[in-house]
Amino acid sequence: MKIFNYLLMGGWLLCIPMPSHASLIQEKKCSECHRLSKDGNEKIGPDLFYAGNKFQASWLKQYLQNPVTIRSAGGTGDPDFLKGTQADSQRHPALSKKDAGQITQELMELILLDLPEKINHLEPLTKGQKAKIKYEFERTFSCISCHQSLNLAGKVRGGISGPSLVNAGNRLQARWVESWLKSPKTYSNKSRMPIYKMADETRLRLTQFISTLKNENKR
Amino acid sequence: MKKSSPIFILKYCVFLIAVGITGCSEKSAEEPRPPMKTESLSSTPIEKTTPKPVVVTEKTRETYQWYCAQCHGIKGKGDGINAKFLTVPPRNHTKASYLETRTDEQFFEAIKFGGLSVGRAPCMPAWGNTLSDSTIHELVRYIRELCQCEAL
Ligand code: HEC
Ligand code: HEC
Ligand code: HEC
Repeated sequence: MKIFNYLLMGGWLLCIPMPSHASLIQEKKCSECHRLSKDGNEKIGPDLFYAGNKFQASWLKQYLQNPVTIRSAGGTGDPDFLKGTQADSQRHPALSKKDAGQITQELMELILLDLPEKINHLEPLTKGQKAKIKYEFERTFSCISCHQSLNLAGKVRGGISGPSLVNAGNRLQARWVESWLKSPKTYSNKSRMPIYKMADETRLRLTQFISTLKNENKR
Repeated sequence: MKKSSPIFILKYCVFLIAVGITGCSEKSAEEPRPPMKTESLSSTPIEKTTPKPVVVTEKTRETYQWYCAQCHGIKGKGDGINAKFLTVPPRNHTKASYLETRTDEQFFEAIKFGGLSVGRAPCMPAWGNTLSDSTIHELVRYIRELCQCEAL
């Protein structure tokens, strides 16, 4: 049973250098479907190597325990993406409350770059501003053709090739949304979304509009 | 909308009129297709300085699959995954009877500047910041290949 001993020793050696706080993501094999660093090819699930920039911690913790569908057509890198056959049947692995808490912490440490904190705390939009930017979201930029959002009556409307933005106000950090709209190439060099050139002011308003989209406003 | 109070509906309609919108995916307030504009767009000239012939390559097809098929469908039939959520359906790029009434310049403008720029629905996004002019010229040729038609 020499081999067994070697295996044991090997495992033991492997364990030592691993800092315990960064281990649960590895242990749960999240990287089978998600990139946790910028290297390598895109995987079937969305990239998580900038999770700390992108998500709100409270949403992550919730999602990891009770996953919901965000991309009803599947991820854009999925070979079946254009066939629209994914539907809601795919279930994401769910974690216990304790594990979700720990993984959320680990994910929030995955920071790609410094984003300006102040964008997360902009003055709310006035009614007039909101009407104007909603018009741009739907008509000037056609965002609604690919993203679900909420209409004035609180009903879900929009295309499904992009991630749903219906709960974006609870899910995403405003400063990341702004940064994505400004330079999507920072995060993905192969995006299916059109690149937009717009005034800084317009981009900030658009970001604020997206931040108002929340499940609790759904009717 | 069925259960909303009449006052809410009224307010909602007033609002729609006020800002003049019906979104791309707002089924309850369907927007009729804008009337066909068949005159050529000579008022907005496009550089016709493409001396070498535009050739459709494997890359052109890939570009179409990557960006356009989301709405226009894998085969260009206008049945992409977003199609059923849009008020104005994506054009069927295999339908010669309509596409031969449109010029290559109109296609080019629609792709580069979006549907609104050629009197078409805003659901068709602008790709001018994403794709180069030469790629767009190739896509126009590719659509002509799909419909097996030329502008009349
Ligand atoms: C079998 C593949 C698979 C595994 C394993 C997996 N995921 Fe996912 N994950 C996905 C897919 C696919 C999505 C996209 C779901 C959607 O958008 O509806 C996703 C979405 C997510 C999201 C939301 C990301 C976003 O941008 O919306 C997070 C966060 C996430 N996964 C974390 C994890 C963690 C943490 C683990 C390990 C415990 C894990 N995943 C394991 C496939 C997987
Ligand atoms: C042609 C379809 C399309 C259009 C039009 C479009 N998007 Fe996207 N968008 C996508 C896709 C697909 C993704 C997912 C990432 C990828 O593959 O590029 C995305 C990603 C996003 C994300 C990140 C969401 C996440 O959870 O990762 C935001 C925010 C976003 N889009 C906002 C917008 C806004 C605002 C507009 C209009 C100014 C817009 N999009 C127009 C297709 C589109
Ligand atoms: C978000 C969905 C969407 C995407 C993505 C999209 N289109 Fe369209 N497209 C439309 C819709 C909707 C129409 C119909 C507009 C109308 O008839 O008023 C259209 C119309 C067109 C037309 C016809 C314009 C005319 O003269 O009637 C062309 C050409 C076209 N698209 C090319 C493309 C190309 C090339 C791409 C990829 C680079 C693309 N589209 C991507 C939605 C989309």
